[in-house]
Amino acid sequence: MTTLVLVLLILPIIGALIAFTSGLKKNALAFWTAEVTGTLLFLITLILLVDYKDPIDIPMRWFEFGSFSIPFGIYIDKLSLVMLLIATGLGLLDIHFAHDYMGEDPHQPRYYAKVLFFIGGMILLVSAKDMVGLFVGWEFMGLASYLLISFWHQQKDPADAGVSAFLFTRFGDIFLFAAIGLLFYLTGTLDMVKLNELSQAGKLDEEMMFVIAVFIFIAAIGKSGQFPLFPWLMRAMEGPTTVSALIHGATMVNSGIYIVARLFDFYAAAEALMVVATVGALSAFIGATSALVQRELKKVLAYSTMSHLSIAFVGLGVGSLAAGMTHLVNHAIFKALLFLGVGAVIMSAHHVKDMWRLGGLGKKLTWVALFMGMGVLSLSGIPPFSGFFSKDAVIAEAILNPGSAGLIATLVTIAGLLSMAYIGRLWLLTFAGEPRDKGLFGKVTRPSAFWIVLPLGIMAVMTLLMGFFQEHIAEMVSNGPFEEPHVAGLFFGLMSGIVLLALIIYYYYVKRPDLTEKIAAQPLIKTIHSILFNGYYIEKMIFWFAHNVIIESFAKTSHWVDQHIIDAAVNGMIGLSQRITHIFGYTHSGRVGDNSGAMTLGLLLLLAAMLTGGAV
Amino acid sequence: MSPLFFIFGPMVLAALVALYGKKRDTIVKFVSLALFVWMLIYALELLAILPDSGYLDLGSYLAVKDFGFELTLQVDHLSVVMLILTSVLLILVALSSWTMKRTSTYFALLILFAGPITGVFMSTDLLWFFIFWELTLVPMYFLVGIWGAEGRIYAAVKFFLYTHVASMLILLAFFLVYKETGTMNMTLVRESMLASPVLIWWLLFIGFSVKMPIFPFHTWLPDAHVQAPAPISVLLAGVLLKMGAYAMIRMVVLMLPGQSAHFAWVILALGLITLFYAGFMALYETHLKKMVAYSSISHMGLVTVAIATLSYSGLSAALFEMIGHALIISPLFLIAGFLHHRTGSWQMGDMGGLMQKAPYLSAIFVLAGLAALGLPGTIGFVGELTILIAAIKSYGFWLILIALGSMIGAGYIIWTFRRVIYGEISQTVRKSDFRMDHVEFAALVIFAVLIVFFGLFPSTLFDVINAAFAPIAAQGGL
Repeated sequence: MTTLVLVLLILPIIGALIAFTSGLKKNALAFWTAEVTGTLLFLITLILLVDYKDPIDIPMRWFEFGSFSIPFGIYIDKLSLVMLLIATGLGLLDIHFAHDYMGEDPHQPRYYAKVLFFIGGMILLVSAKDMVGLFVGWEFMGLASYLLISFWHQQKDPADAGVSAFLFTRFGDIFLFAAIGLLFYLTGTLDMVKLNELSQAGKLDEEMMFVIAVFIFIAAIGKSGQFPLFPWLMRAMEGPTTVSALIHGATMVNSGIYIVARLFDFYAAAEALMVVATVGALSAFIGATSALVQRELKKVLAYSTMSHLSIAFVGLGVGSLAAGMTHLVNHAIFKALLFLGVGAVIMSAHHVKDMWRLGGLGKKLTWVALFMGMGVLSLSGIPPFSGFFSKDAVIAEAILNPGSAGLIATLVTIAGLLSMAYIGRLWLLTFAGEPRDKGLFGKVTRPSAFWIVLPLGIMAVMTLLMGFFQEHIAEMVSNGPFEEPHVAGLFFGLMSGIVLLALIIYYYYVKRPDLTEKIAAQPLIKTIHSILFNGYYIEKMIFWFAHNVIIESFAKTSHWVDQHIIDAAVNGMIGLSQRITHIFGYTHSGRVGDNSGAMTLGLLLLLAAMLTGGAV
Repeated sequence: MSPLFFIFGPMVLAALVALYGKKRDTIVKFVSLALFVWMLIYALELLAILPDSGYLDLGSYLAVKDFGFELTLQVDHLSVVMLILTSVLLILVALSSWTMKRTSTYFALLILFAGPITGVFMSTDLLWFFIFWELTLVPMYFLVGIWGAEGRIYAAVKFFLYTHVASMLILLAFFLVYKETGTMNMTLVRESMLASPVLIWWLLFIGFSVKMPIFPFHTWLPDAHVQAPAPISVLLAGVLLKMGAYAMIRMVVLMLPGQSAHFAWVILALGLITLFYAGFMALYETHLKKMVAYSSISHMGLVTVAIATLSYSGLSAALFEMIGHALIISPLFLIAGFLHHRTGSWQMGDMGGLMQKAPYLSAIFVLAGLAALGLPGTIGFVGELTILIAAIKSYGFWLILIALGSMIGAGYIIWTFRRVIYGEISQTVRKSDFRMDHVEFAALVIFAVLIVFFGLFPSTLFDVINAAFAPIAAQGGL
């Protein structure tokens, strides 16, 4: 078992190296290396799952410095296994899909190496026993996402998007880094299982625990794209669509939820769960409303990721590990499906991402439309698709918890309902109605069945089948029996809301497109539209702060002080010294050698004088 | 092999090279390389025979009986670590200078530098320490003065003024020590527990601060770095700055423990100011090499914070970060210098899209940059993590401030990547030729390998580093 786990951890790195070096000239070799590595990773995870008895616990030490020792252990329980299945399974499908999607790109070795490194980072993150190991995986993913988002680094926008992704997530990461320092100071251990036990036993200072919990949550906000650190997630759409699917489905954004789930008892004891729920509810609302008005296919999905992860956060925040985590699992699958589906559309439509130029594609991309439709149903929460169960559970838990019954429950319900509106809009504008750009429509190509449609089909079937295994998943992630929360009338209310919204968007976007334009021309609607379209201008505000406060105030002041005070004083002294040396006439050439020689000579003379003086 | 060979031998060798090396460039290069490799082997040998805790006496020479003034040579793990670092860097500097003009003179000066720097790390006699300390500057002046860029005279004068004022303070402190204790031997000074060392402490602290450098004594460094040829920047950052940090540990923290504990807050405060101030400077900078220079100062601020903990763990972390800093900042300086050499510009705004023109060079720049911002898997992360833990342990939770420093680091590094490496290819980059000499490129690769190796396996270094402070910690000295 131990060997298998170590192989699981090292294999992605080896695969990445092989893909990068051996494939330097041959793109196909790079792809097959990635495909084989991905398959092996998934198989190993399956073996671990089948043979699972007790958590695999391998304590290890990384290094010792001074009187401290830094641990780097491995711990794989059912929660980790679920995350591993998502990372390796969806990762494999993503690699498979990339065969065609990235087929034209001349830099495939680089691409597959980074993808494997990305998956490897996620594997390390979810298998880590100690906070340090988790942080290492966390940062590996940050780096991989930076490199993949700016994969087309020759162009301005992807390069900028990479900077955004790195700095936004890094801002969160430094809080995690600080939290590691604090935890080590406070408890002397970085073992996450032990931290949960210690906090439950009430042995830790509660205020410090709260601070640490919030710090860790800030890091989770950054990685999972929550308010206010979400703008990078939208910019990240500049990367290849397969990368978006990887970030949003298999790896990166899940890590924020995972860390809160992993330290769930700690959060409960620190009484920080309500913070999680509040930020989650706010983000859910912002994401859902912004997703309503986006023009680009991928931006809709990006905002929807933000919104749905927030729903998972709310699930955790209102105290239900099972509800939050099952929603994460369900979301990972249907979001990967939707992203890859959108990838298929973009590829077939010659890289047009603007929904308003598509339409009627259902006639040509029937299977893609069908499978994406299943993803749409799952995301909007229609039974028996998996998305329904977990979303329903989160909303019910939020209503049942007295702490969140008011505002939080309302916001999350709105976000849950609006899912239908924005994702239905995306599907209708893309596949239904008449093609809006006839020229483009004529050029649309059909995707390959094996490389493109097959992975979509697998995920579509998964998102349907998973609906029947919700209780198993819930029991796996929460390590205990699961009781489905029940609120009278909730099911009926949600369903009627969803059906009503579906009818409205169908009428609005398909039957009466002329009406759409009329309403959009209203000044008030225009203002609201531009607020939503720009993600509530959060990015503008953060950029304003970074530019005006950090650069123009702090950095500029430092620069001014350096030039006009410190350096000015030094230059004054240099002038003085040059005048003095001029008197001696010897060093007026300004040659440093002379200067230093004279000075050293003087010092040695002085030294000799003092020494003899001392002796006499 | 007598240690004297490595201290005074290079002076003879340098003279020979300068006299007979003209038109024998290849021989000169290999001779200097051989010397530096030999130095490394000697240092590793010393490490092998060094007892687990304590000193190794290498003998006393040139005694001036009446004054208790003699060349006493002694090494412990701290000195040996510094010797290994220095010789590795000298090897890599020699490789990086493979195509340098006026070869024989240049390499003669490099060889000349190797002698006194060995003396600095071996000498336990304050006066001899000082003599070696000063002698390291002579080849440095010429290397910057002859091979430097346009403004080299100003930079060299500034460097000269700063370091000489600092040296006078140090010398004065040493005389005061002698007056108080009647000895110049560091170990004896430490044992004699000086009665009134406040003035001595301040003189030494300021003197060494200039070399490290610590705010507000840092302004010589960006100028010197910008004017120095790239390999000499490596020597400045990797060896000369480390000499300052070494002296700070050896002669302030370890020799005057009582006063250091009393004034630890001064060291801490200046370290933190340096960390953030230099970070902000780097953030504002558009000049590529100056950006790297301020990043270097910022990291030395981190080293200062670690020194300020005055603890076993903190000093180990400081020594580790010193090595990390040398390995990280050197390739950045080398590449910055190379880019200037080829494009004729220092401005990051003129560059862009380098990845398309020179992918391998860019990859090494990115790796070193990521190490500078403390990415796990590189030596930079281990340094930051250990310093964070040690600092919080000594001064409480508010030192999580250090984490904020690494955010600023991320800011200027990532933004530099965006301006230099990524994005659309600029006119300047398009028309420049970035083919690099193979030997010079090999030096960069070695730096990159070391950055990752020690980032993944830090215990290989910490085994030696911990031993540097373990004996003192065991005696309750830390």
